This record gives sequence, structure tokens and C-alpha cells, in this order.
Amino acid sequence: MDLTICVPRGALFDESLEALQAAGLPIDPLLNLGRKLIVKCPDGPTYITTRPTDVPVYVESGAADLGIVGRDVLLERQPDVYELLDLGFGACRMVWATMAGDDPAPAAIERFGVVRVASKYVNVAEAWFESTGRKAEIVKVNGSVELAPLVGLADGIVDLVATGKTLRENGLVEREQIFDSSARLIANRVSHKLEAAAVDDLVRRFAEHAR
Amino acid sequence: MSESTSAFALSVLGLSALMTDFMGDRVPLPDGVRDVLPVEAAELSALETTLTGVFSSFGYREVRTPLIEFSDVVDRGQDRGIGRAYRMFDDQGRVLVLRPDLTIPIARLIATRMADEPGPVRVSYAARAVRPPSAGTGQGAERRQVGIELAGAGGAEDDAEVIAALAAALQAAGLEQPQVAIGSVALVDAVLDAVDADQDARDALWGALQGRSMVAWASETRRVRRARGRLGTLLAELPNLRGGGELLTRIAKIAPAAADECARLLHTLDLVAAYGAPAPMIDLGVVRDWNYYSGVVIEAYAPGASAPVAVGGRYDALGARFGRPRPAVGVAVTLDLLHHAVGVPEGREPRGVLVVGGSDTRVTAAAMLRATGIPVVGVLAAYAGPEEFARTQGLRYVARPMKSGWKVVDVTDGVATRIASLEEGPWI
Repeated sequence: MDLTICVPRGALFDESLEALQAAGLPIDPLLNLGRKLIVKCPDGPTYITTRPTDVPVYVESGAADLGIVGRDVLLERQPDVYELLDLGFGACRMVWATMAGDDPAPAAIERFGVVRVASKYVNVAEAWFESTGRKAEIVKVNGSVELAPLVGLADGIVDLVATGKTLRENGLVEREQIFDSSARLIANRVSHKLEAAAVDDLVRRFAEHAR
Repeated sequence: MSESTSAFALSVLGLSALMTDFMGDRVPLPDGVRDVLPVEAAELSALETTLTGVFSSFGYREVRTPLIEFSDVVDRGQDRGIGRAYRMFDDQGRVLVLRPDLTIPIARLIATRMADEPGPVRVSYAARAVRPPSAGTGQGAERRQVGIELAGAGGAEDDAEVIAALAAALQAAGLEQPQVAIGSVALVDAVLDAVDADQDARDALWGALQGRSMVAWASETRRVRRARGRLGTLLAELPNLRGGGELLTRIAKIAPAAADECARLLHTLDLVAAYGAPAPMIDLGVVRDWNYYSGVVIEAYAPGASAPVAVGGRYDALGARFGRPRPAVGVAVTLDLLHHAVGVPEGREPRGVLVVGGSDTRVTAAAMLRATGIPVVGVLAAYAGPEEFARTQGLRYVARPMKSGWKVVDVTDGVATRIASLEEGPWI
């Protein structure tokens, strides 16, 4: 098999390996990756590992044929790729959260006409507030988003939540749920056609084991 | 000024000096556009000539439409307008648009300028469409497209001709086995008719297809109540289905409402085979971004191109929007993507001759060579390193006048020869 598969490092990595293994793919080279970013399996696919947010970039450009990526990343980046399968793992939800107690957002809208939102997901946050008839001012932050409302940088945050523990520890409460997310199998538009047989076969094998 | 403030001021100055160093005097281009330099321009022209040559051998005659049109006219081409595009005002305040697509202007041209032609009308074009680049897609704003449109009787014969012409053009351009996939908007609609999908379900399902999300498609189909049993399975799998004619036979059995469309696609496959073109793959997940498509949709793929090298389809209702209903089908090759896919062309060896001392001193000889298509370039006698200059210009020989005759150096291998006159050089 000549396919190149892009696997996200980080939170989805371990379960991605389980899914690949369940689909009958060799994963040994991925177990002791160290600092290597690319490994070729003899008689198997080539794996590349990237940051989760970069997976769609590699797949859309054709540098990888297939990729595993959270729905959150797909909705944020809107890549032109095929979303083939819900792999079932990595379940979490995109939420709008503000400080516990009185929700500061309605007052901010009422008095200033705008709600300030800190998020890594700028496009998702913008679309959500626009679709719910509110004007939002999005502040892009790259990590520890929960900090922003605590120090007055923003009224609240749009972020991905799995258990809600981080929110609670920082005195934040979930106000609105925006969408559910889980890991998806995506394919490059051209690979999906030129490698049709191999892609379809893999999708079938993944589907048998996805929840 | 205290010491700390002046240190701060200095650091600010230092930083701005650094920025100036780094950024220089910037000469930017707008997002998504770029210049084309000589090597690429030559390769793109060669590709364009090849494609238009094949299209013209099928009887397609070139037409050109203006770069700018009235916005409201072009907007008629799409149900909810053409969406994102570069728009501007003319001197009377009317809104203009830079053509974001070529099918709409060509459909307008056929429906207006060629309204009286009984047809079938076969036209080709080689032009650029311009669309604001959208984040992440990696596609530039400017798309050079070479395409054909056939406004005719509306049958499978026309669909097959366009597919065969496309395959022939791609093969001539250097793709040995172009992979063409065809889907059908009409077939998908017929299956949706078969399950009695309501308008909300149709919108959601088409949205899923346009977004290329099989996941969203599958979850939306679960809400279509009439989709049970084999019909339900067919609907759920529809955009994942691909294969050859046998697939269409199977669909026709399960969903009789789609039998006509299946038969038409089968007929198209037979006709394409009769042309000797590679068999297209049936892929019902193939859809186009523009909603004017009404029947077959066509995509062609090549290794090395990250998106389809050619796209098109049938758009029977578009002509009526410009006053002259006429079924039509067309396809366009995106030149930049094809260029990526075909690799470095063969036979683009350096040719021509650099005449030291200036070709103006040998006007007759230079003119004779140029008349036979051999590039002749002059350079001053004092020019240092004419061989290197010849190389950068894609010229093969350097000719230096000697007391009698010429010394000629082939810059590709450094071999020097002597000749009596330019008319008998190795470039003949």
C-alpha cells in the first residue's frame, strides 16, 4: 500500500493508533517514534505525524492521502477534503463558557453592543455569535484560553471541552453548547479518486471498528 | 530625558531599523495572485496550445468574453447569486464583477450572441477566472482555464463527446491515463425523489455533498423516513458508491425512479468507450460547487495535482436565464493544476544563438535564421561571459566573429566548432 496517512500528535494520538491497528494496519513504527516525524512501514502505509490543526493542511495539499482529525479542526479550518467517517473516539464538545455566577455576556451586549470572546477557534466563535444574532469581538489566543475571562481580557471563551474539569477549576461554567466533536477520517480529493480501491477498503475496515 | 527612556527610545529605533532591513521596500502583490516568469510562461503556453489544438480538432471554435461584466447579469447564473467575487463600480455607479467563473459568461454569450445559430454550438475558451482566495484552500485567486462548451440536443451523445474530448486533451498534454470520474446531479435527485425527501432534507443532503462530508450525509439520511430497507441502504451509501456500469444497473433495480438516469449514464459510458477514451469511474459523491449543474458532473484527476485538473458538467437551465433555453454541457481544465501534474516537459532543450558583437551587424544572416524560427540575440562585443548569459536566456550557442568565419560554442557541452558563415551553423 502506497498511502500516506497523517496522524495527529497530542490528545488523539493513542486512540488513533488503536483505530489504525483495529483496521488491520501495522502501527509498530509509530510506537517508538521519538522525534521522527515520518515513518514508512514495509508493505504498509507511510505515516506522518503533525500537530492536530495541521492535519487538514497536509491532506488538502495532497502531502498526505488520508488523515485523522477532530471535527473541531475541520469546522474551524473548512478544508476542501472528503470527510469519510466518524471514528467515534475523541468525543468532546465546543462550548461557550463564562465566569460562574451572573453571565456577563447579556450585560456586555446590552451596554456595549458587543461581547468579547477569547478563543483558539476564531472562525467557529465568529460564526456562532453571528448565527445567534450577537456581535462578537474575537480575541485570538493560542493556549490556556481559560485565563482570558479571569483577567478581564474577554467576557468568556469558546473552547473544546471533554470533561469540563478545566472549566470548573477556573471558575467557568458552560453557557451554550455549539457542536459535538469526535475524530474523523478525511481524504484528499484527488487521492480519494486515484486510490479509490485502497481508500474504500480502508474506510470499510475502519467502519467495522468505529463505534 | 532619563537614561531609561533613551534606552527605550533606542531599542524602539533599533527595532524599526531591523524591520526596515527585513522587510525592505516592500512591493507586494494582492493575495492569491502571482507573476509568471519565462520558463513557466513557455510551459503554460505549450500546454494551452496542446489543449486548444485537441479541442479544435473536435470542432470547438475559440471565443472570448470580457474580463468585467455587470454584476447582476453574472449573478443570474446562480440561485442565490455568485457569492464572493471582486466587484467594483463603473463611472455611472453600476456594479461590475471580475468574472469568477467562465461557464456563466460563455452561457450568456451563447444565449445572446449565438441565439440564432440553430446549433449545436461548440465553443472553446482559454481565459482566466478570478475569485477571492478563501482561507486554507491553497487555490489562487486567478485560475487559468482552457475549456469547451457544447450547447446542443442535450443527449448522452453530447456528454460523451465532452468527456472524450477532455480525455484526449489531457492525454495530449502528457497525462497517460487521465482518471475521469463522473457523477450525476440528476441521478442523486432521482434517488431523493424515490425516498420522497422533503425540501429541508434535500437542502441538508445537498449541503453535506457540497461540503464533501460523508459523515453529515449519513446522519441526514437517517432522518428521511421513507428510506427503509434496500432503498435506505442505497440512500445512506449513495455518495460513497463508485465503480463501473454494474453499479448503475444495481441502483436502477433498487430505485426504479432513478432508472432513466442510470440508463443514460450507462449509455454515456458506452459512447465514451466507443471513442477509445479511458473508462470514466462512476462516482456519485462527485458534485460541483456551482449549483447551475443539472445532469452529469465531470472531474478529472492526476497524481501531483492536489485538486481535480478538470471540472465540468451539464447545465441545461443556464441558457434560459440569459433568454435562450438550450441544453448544454462543458468542461474546463485548470491550467496551473495540470501544469503541476505533467512535470517537466521533454524537448525543451535550449535553442538559438547569441551573436557576440551584435546581430545588428549581421542583419541579413540574423533575419534569415529568425525567419526559420531560430532565436537570434545580439550582445555587445565587450560583454563579459556571453556563455553564462546564453544559458540564462535559454540559448544554445554563442557565435564569435573571427578574422575569417565564426567560432561557435555549444553552451550545453562546451564543444567549440568553426564555421564560415552564420547561415551554415549547427543550429540549422
